Amino acid sequence: MPKPKAPACCYRWDRRARDTAWRRSVWPCHPTRSVGFPCRWSCLAAIWAATVVLFAAAAGGCAREDEPSTTVLRVANWTGPDVEPGLVRLERQFRQEFEAAHPGVRLQMEQIPGYGQYTPKLLMMHVAGCMPDVIHLDASAAAVFIDNGVLRDLTPLIESDPQFDLTQYFEPVVEVARRGSSLYAIPLDFTPMMMFYNKRLFDEAHVAYPQAGWTWDEFLQKAKALTVRPAGAARPTQYGFYFENWMPLWVLWLWTNGADVLDPDGRRASGYFDGPQSVEAVEFIVELMTKHRVAPDLRDSAIAGTDLFRSGRAAMDLKGHWMLLDYRADGLDVGVVPLPVRGREEAAERERATVVYAAGLAVTAASRQSQLAWEYVKFMTSRDVQVRRVASGLAISGNKLAAAQFAGTPIEDAFLAEVAYARPPWGARVERYPFLEELGREMMEDLLHARGTLSVAEALRRTVRLMDAALAEP
Amino acid sequence: MKSVERPSWRGYLFVAPATVYLAVFALLPLGVAGYLALHRWHLLKPEHPFVGGGNFTALWTDPFFRQAVSNTLLYVVLSVPLGVVTALGVAVLVAQPLRGMGLFRTLFYIPAVSSQVALSMVWIWILLPEVGLLNGCVKWLGGAGTTNFLGEPGWALLALVAMSLWIGLGPRMIIFLAGIQSIPGSLFEAAALDGCNAWRRFLHITLPLLAPTMLFVVVTTTIAAFQLFTPVYVMTRGGPRRSTDVLLYHIYQEAWQKLELGMASAQSYVLFAMILVVALVQFRLLRRGWTGVSMN
Repeated sequence: MPKPKAPACCYRWDRRARDTAWRRSVWPCHPTRSVGFPCRWSCLAAIWAATVVLFAAAAGGCAREDEPSTTVLRVANWTGPDVEPGLVRLERQFRQEFEAAHPGVRLQMEQIPGYGQYTPKLLMMHVAGCMPDVIHLDASAAAVFIDNGVLRDLTPLIESDPQFDLTQYFEPVVEVARRGSSLYAIPLDFTPMMMFYNKRLFDEAHVAYPQAGWTWDEFLQKAKALTVRPAGAARPTQYGFYFENWMPLWVLWLWTNGADVLDPDGRRASGYFDGPQSVEAVEFIVELMTKHRVAPDLRDSAIAGTDLFRSGRAAMDLKGHWMLLDYRADGLDVGVVPLPVRGREEAAERERATVVYAAGLAVTAASRQSQLAWEYVKFMTSRDVQVRRVASGLAISGNKLAAAQFAGTPIEDAFLAEVAYARPPWGARVERYPFLEELGREMMEDLLHARGTLSVAEALRRTVRLMDAALAEP
Repeated sequence: MKSVERPSWRGYLFVAPATVYLAVFALLPLGVAGYLALHRWHLLKPEHPFVGGGNFTALWTDPFFRQAVSNTLLYVVLSVPLGVVTALGVAVLVAQPLRGMGLFRTLFYIPAVSSQVALSMVWIWILLPEVGLLNGCVKWLGGAGTTNFLGEPGWALLALVAMSLWIGLGPRMIIFLAGIQSIPGSLFEAAALDGCNAWRRFLHITLPLLAPTMLFVVVTTTIAAFQLFTPVYVMTRGGPRRSTDVLLYHIYQEAWQKLELGMASAQSYVLFAMILVVALVQFRLLRRGWTGVSMN
């Protein structure tokens, strides 16, 4: 065989492999296609380049690319593409304003959409050492951040800042992120949970609107009167109340019965979640579906496949301020009242309760520019920014001065009046509480599936054992 | 020919990127997970005490984990044979040299190139009680059509099996199809001349010659079934009443809701061991059948 003239490595390579599949393959260096450059090395170089890029990408997950003169302040939030466009525009505007006021600073918003992913992702960033400087802190999952040294205590920053006045903010919302004398977040916005009602459905059924201080009995009567079930129909065409198996919502029935999930220290569920008042509250909820049929059970909700209150097929719903945006878009005429209380004479005032679900801004312990981060927190929670931010109706501003701007309408006043009765959620204090809520959801699922074969007391006892075990784990 | 047999350092250079990739993204995590599994390792707690086999003994007595194991096994036992048989049947059909068969091959393959999350959302609608497509069909056939497929503990896992048949059909079918098309046509002609009908040709030519393909499809389908995650995450979240809480979803919850990475790693190793044992058994059984009918 004649020796190849040029030392084109491709050619040699191919000759070596001529009895193999190489020859038939689409290998670009086949003699018939060879373009006469040592492309074996090109290929190898390309493979290695790809490898290096791949590893660089993996290793540089939180590298910063700005020139050294720019300071980058990273802010994490959970807004995603489903947030209303108005808010996204506003956030951009706030960012530009902050950057204009702080030359040389660039704000980098890091959006982590998908609520369930927010906490795990941030915790991973913390462990991996690339935590943003400022994070939006959700009250329901605040404990895991506060109690594991992820956040910076803001007290020294507050005390050394004469311009900042903590009393401007709603106390129950501030309390969400407090541990003793330390404070870990400044309230951004919040909402108490309230009972919304559809005025048109009430008018059609000639049922009087509920008033603050109403009782469970009145609630049940109204729900019955508002449930429409045509003769022969498999299920009501209209429900008095829209139930969703989401423990952050239905736990409020326990609270308005003077019961609770955990003891005051948050260490155990036994004696509380299985106490007689808890049993009574859970029985009341379950019977709304199984006995009175005034609320859709899991199956009815699945069939509806939609929010029954929003579609005008349920007259009452327990929700927060953010739903007003949707109701307004749907053209629903809604009213709002506090939750009904059990109505024991001696305990009426203690029973009036709601929860405050809040978002705060926190500076992370890992931030190397805490002073700048603090400036951002102050800016975002200031009256001027807050007034514009909550104007859409998404939530109530944590800043009292800003919230006061919107007072004067029946709905806003009802919300504001309830702040005095609002408590922080357990998730702000007990790290494992989100897991307990999952156990609670499963328990409710069991009860609704059992259709009377499982007693509420037994279900609660079982769940309490699991909760206590989860809380006792070191 | 000496130069062909000489081990070439250039060859090592070529395989190095893939080796490095595997080492860093597969072997290293495997090793680290093994280390974590022997410790009580909460993501955020500073101390990580060594517990030896403690995590594994705890798993043994954990009723939720045992349920996850049995859910997974039930899913594998149901979905693998059904999935393989359906794919083989469809492959035989679309292997027929008829006009327009390309269209059918494409249609059957479409689910494989679609997002599993999007497919899961579609299946939620298909499986809805009363108003869903499936219940509509049942009603049309004279049934009650009121089953809440994703809401009843007895049905939810079966619904996931049905969905997996459809999603996994495309890739399995393509592999079987390639296997069928690589069988020399002369064999079929000879058998036909000798008076074999279609069924006997399938039984005595197609099936034995597909044995290597079969081994590949069965093993990969089994591994995929053990690793079911996306539809559970999107459609059922492990419910109702933990009836679809399969191992991978359970591990995900342990790691990301409870942040117990040590325990989650131990669970991963249990899953790994289960897959390994099952795959080895499959290799043993199927390869024996394969060499027995080898054509070469």
